[in-house]
Amino acid sequence: MTARDSAGGNASHHAFKAGPNRLLGLIWAGFATVAVLSALIVPAHILVQGVLGPLGLVPSFDRRYDTFSRALSNPLVKLYLLALFVCTFYMLAMRVWYVVRELGVRSKLGVGMAAFGLGAAGAIVAGYLLFTGP
Amino acid sequence: MRFRDVSEVRLPEAGPAAGVDGLTGATTARPSTPPKPAAAYPVKQPFTWWTRRRGYLLYMLREFTAVGIAAWMILFLVEIARARHGTGGYQPFGGPLFIAVGVVCLVLALWHSYTFLSLAGLIMRIPLGDRTVSPRLIVSVMYGGLVAVTAVIAALLIWGGA
Repeated sequence: MTARDSAGGNASHHAFKAGPNRLLGLIWAGFATVAVLSALIVPAHILVQGVLGPLGLVPSFDRRYDTFSRALSNPLVKLYLLALFVCTFYMLAMRVWYVVRELGVRSKLGVGMAAFGLGAAGAIVAGYLLFTGP
Repeated sequence: MRFRDVSEVRLPEAGPAAGVDGLTGATTARPSTPPKPAAAYPVKQPFTWWTRRRGYLLYMLREFTAVGIAAWMILFLVEIARARHGTGGYQPFGGPLFIAVGVVCLVLALWHSYTFLSLAGLIMRIPLGDRTVSPRLIVSVMYGGLVAVTAVIAALLIWGGA
């Protein structure tokens, strides 16, 4: 019998929770995935649709209604664009969640709910516009 | 790399612990009083802490890239919403201001790509016999993937508008 046992069993108090935080691990794994996907696919969209297309250097599918609506009517394009918007808003929510707290805001849960809530709202709006549009 | 949130670290409570007295050899027991709640020691730092060092500034810039990318995506979402109004109601964004915004967002998106794909060499360990694949090779493959994916998507976007 140890001194600790004689003192009444497990009397020591530890503030850390035992085991890994699986939810936080899942959130970080999701962030790593969407951040890599965004890093690979977002620059092409901004380059063509945001710079080269408006400058008139290349044609872009969103410069005319007929080509834009034809692309948006394709279910695969809808799914792809929805994934693009979800990646973007998830990445924004995750980064806002951490940066706002690093700037002094204390509420981890409150900031997280606000950031991910807005991100989810953005994804829902994107899904609604994509799947109820042309 | 992210900073750990030091404000959440809780230190164990102070007080006598169970053990053996070094002088007398007698066994000492922990008092039976219930433990007090652990005290938190929040670390307060000024709002502008990230302006102190270049590394901190680049860290904040990296985090800010998500805002620029999301801003441009919202503009794209507005275009999709305009397309619901039919041929007469559709007006794509254009003009010098939109192009300037596009250039800024493109720089931010490329900065995000550079910083995040560079991390792949640090966080990925791919076994190859007794050794692992070189981080430099992993980063090179990621950059090659960025070029290839950009070329494919750009070609599809241009082909769709032709």
